[in-house]
Amino acid sequence: MSPRNRELLFLLPAVLVTTIGFATIYIREAERLEWASLSYGGLFLGLFGLVHVAERFLAPKADPYLLPITALLSSLGIMMIYRLNPDLALQQALWLLVGLGVFVFVLIVARPLARLASYKYLLGLAGIGLLLFTVVFGREVYGARLWVRVAGIGFQPPEFAKLFLVVFFAAYLADVREMLAVSTRRILGIAFPPLKYLGPLLALWGLALALMIFLRDLGTSLLFFGALLALMYVATSRMLYVVVGTGLFAGGATVLYQIFPHVQRRVDVWLDPWADTQDAGYQIVQSLFALAEGGLTGRGLGQGFLVLPSGRTLIPALETDFIFSAIGEELGLAGAVGIVLLFFIFVWRGLRIALASSDDFVRLLAAGLTAIFGLQAFLILGGVIKLIPLTGITLPFVSYGGSSIVANFALLALLLRASHEAARQEEARLEAAVRGSATPGEVVVGPPAGGLRGLRTEGRGA
Amino acid sequence: MERPLKRLLYFFAALFLALIVQLSYVQVYAAPDLKNHAANTRALDEQMRIERGVITAADGTVIAQNRQEGDYFLREYPLGDLTAPWLGYNSLRYGRSGVERAYNPELTGETDELTARSLLDILTDRPKRGADVQLTVDLAVQRAAVEGLGERKGAVVALDPRTGQVLAMASWPRYDPNELDERWGELNQNADRPLVNRALQGLYPPGSSFKPVVAAAALAEGLFTPESTFTDEGRYVAGGFPVNNYGGNTFGEHDLTTAMARSINTTFAKIGVALDEQLLAYTRAFGFEKELPLPLESAVSTLPEPSLIDTAHLAQIAFGQGQLLATPFQMALVASGIANGGRIMNPYLVEQVTDFHGAVVEQAQPSVWQTPVSPSVAGQVAEMMVQVVERGTGTQAALPGIRVAGKTGTAQVAEGGDHAWFIGFAPADDPRVAVAVLVENAGGGGSVAAPVARRVLEAGLAR
Repeated sequence: MSPRNRELLFLLPAVLVTTIGFATIYIREAERLEWASLSYGGLFLGLFGLVHVAERFLAPKADPYLLPITALLSSLGIMMIYRLNPDLALQQALWLLVGLGVFVFVLIVARPLARLASYKYLLGLAGIGLLLFTVVFGREVYGARLWVRVAGIGFQPPEFAKLFLVVFFAAYLADVREMLAVSTRRILGIAFPPLKYLGPLLALWGLALALMIFLRDLGTSLLFFGALLALMYVATSRMLYVVVGTGLFAGGATVLYQIFPHVQRRVDVWLDPWADTQDAGYQIVQSLFALAEGGLTGRGLGQGFLVLPSGRTLIPALETDFIFSAIGEELGLAGAVGIVLLFFIFVWRGLRIALASSDDFVRLLAAGLTAIFGLQAFLILGGVIKLIPLTGITLPFVSYGGSSIVANFALLALLLRASHEAARQEEARLEAAVRGSATPGEVVVGPPAGGLRGLRTEGRGA
Repeated sequence: MERPLKRLLYFFAALFLALIVQLSYVQVYAAPDLKNHAANTRALDEQMRIERGVITAADGTVIAQNRQEGDYFLREYPLGDLTAPWLGYNSLRYGRSGVERAYNPELTGETDELTARSLLDILTDRPKRGADVQLTVDLAVQRAAVEGLGERKGAVVALDPRTGQVLAMASWPRYDPNELDERWGELNQNADRPLVNRALQGLYPPGSSFKPVVAAAALAEGLFTPESTFTDEGRYVAGGFPVNNYGGNTFGEHDLTTAMARSINTTFAKIGVALDEQLLAYTRAFGFEKELPLPLESAVSTLPEPSLIDTAHLAQIAFGQGQLLATPFQMALVASGIANGGRIMNPYLVEQVTDFHGAVVEQAQPSVWQTPVSPSVAGQVAEMMVQVVERGTGTQAALPGIRVAGKTGTAQVAEGGDHAWFIGFAPADDPRVAVAVLVENAGGGGSVAAPVARRVLEAGLAR
């Protein structure tokens, strides 16, 4: 089966979930909702169908599982938002439309991906610029300064900054990775690269600490630092960067914990939310109550205690940061674990694309995008279930919010483009191998990814 | 770059596994504790979606009803603070109290019997509704109690001594349950405790209003008769502690009935010492040291620690001091026991519960709670109490043409003025209403509490 047909097949579960989910909520709230609201499901599916068709032209060889996973995640998200507040669901549907438009746009523009690498400094500056913009114009929401209002629309620049910085860092590392991996000095038996090559690591560290201080959000800081550090590790294969980087971050965070009350508050609330269940610990405590209420199989869609008589949600920011708590209550452990697994499969497919890719930049880009996506999911999921301190970031594709939806669809487009290019390169290589070899049989045996890389270098040398 | 990529995948696998472990812990293992946590208002929330039964007074007047807002049924109390604090409140934010709390399973239709009945409704897809609760409270008596007490700290209780029906309960300061959510902080922090029902939760020295218990014990034990004579010299020393009469009066030679009518402390101190341990036994038989058989928040009336009780304490207890503490409700039960021939009926507030098809699911059945003394002893004490109102300290409780029995009390407290007490019942020969009045730090029972009692008795007899 071709990747695209496979994709179409795997979109069917999303179709089913959306249809059943919306129907359930409609039946439950029939008197409050209009019949027309059922059309969200149809609209949603039509959109993904269109995107699927676009993909057939723009990235036909791309991974077939990522789009269905995304469809399922956004479908669960919009369903939950619809159940919390039908007006917000309409907005989310519009953002989904924009997101899918951006998805197609990125597929068209980023052809080939190498084009992006040539704009790396521009993109890097844009990423830093967006973060600076947030620092200057950001408004504080629930203790974190991640929102900016432009022309009446609130958006979260860090969501876009993460894409630009990953592209920049991947392109930069693709250029210098050989040098960073070189060791010239041994101190206490450990091989160190020349000091000047620690520059990128220190720059990253500075960025992370600046984010923590100015955006007042440990999570965003950890997200950027963690993902870019992972990228350095992938580029250089040197654990040393990870060890030194983690040490630096931990040291910096400890110092900031002592100095800044907002960092302290976040961590203290995480350590003991029960000390103040009405104020500081309210969100996380209510989130745990919601999850406990859900139990194994959940209370069922539309049957959780999520919306107060006033129309406000019981947990502030339920439709954005805490949407997972709502899902945990209504769909139970089964649904919650399902979401976690969907994110994990996404990460697995993303890293597979990186593995399959033979171009340094494309490989690093796929790894970086996957790492920042997976880490973001982990940070907010872990936050609302009190595994780690709470942060003010969104759950990709599921949370309500235009920036998050649009940025993550752009991320998905880049990943699928990388997947397509990797597949094309491999095909080209196989063809070259077939042409160059005596019998086709040798090639059919199929060398592993590492072997292919060997083939390539030989090819270049020849 | 393969190795780092694979390691990255393992790293993410570990992260997501940690998520699943923590999720399982929260949603399954820790879930029961989280559900029962005090800060968890979800169970409350669920019940706020049930159409709660209405609460009516004895005459059918609705005193608690619903206002629907979205999915929720919010409570309204048409009579405002008249029925607070015993009716209580039902708040999404602050939980419940009073009748709303005690009869919550009935009001939300969640008792076993009501659940079984509503199965049919579930099958026929009729919305779930709680059962209606009809109280024994008579609004005319309640109004008399509330208005009689006025804005003075204290409590009034009125019972039907024949059945144990609670006719009225007033407490001041109180609150308007319709404004509870807006004023919670202020109400909760107010030093005068307006959220507390003083009738059931306030503990006070009963002072001389306790004397009917002592007289009943003495008569039942055969130590004295109403005609037994005593000599008062204005002072009696028991166990090294002197006992004086209220106002420093000296009464000379008198009988037991006069001792009751004029509330002579020295005589009752002598009786208390003579009764010895039996005084404590009879006090308990009248309901002290027992949980009140009422499902509302209530305090237990207490005797001093047994190890502390010596001759001096016995003498003090005999006129209602000496670390003896009683709730106004307990003193109303004492009055109702004397009124009802020595049988204290189980007090109750709910006459009947009807499901929303109108079928009666619970009907109150009067039953005896305590039988401290025989009908003849109770009759003799009642006769002495009539003398209190006719020619003693309680004349201000008298009603024209009706024989009223009563006993005043003026209890000394460590700080502030005396507490004014009055307990009584009417008509003395065939009692239909028993009452207890307490006004904190307000002075003499005869002048302050007796007029309130008269007003409540009058309203009770007009039923």
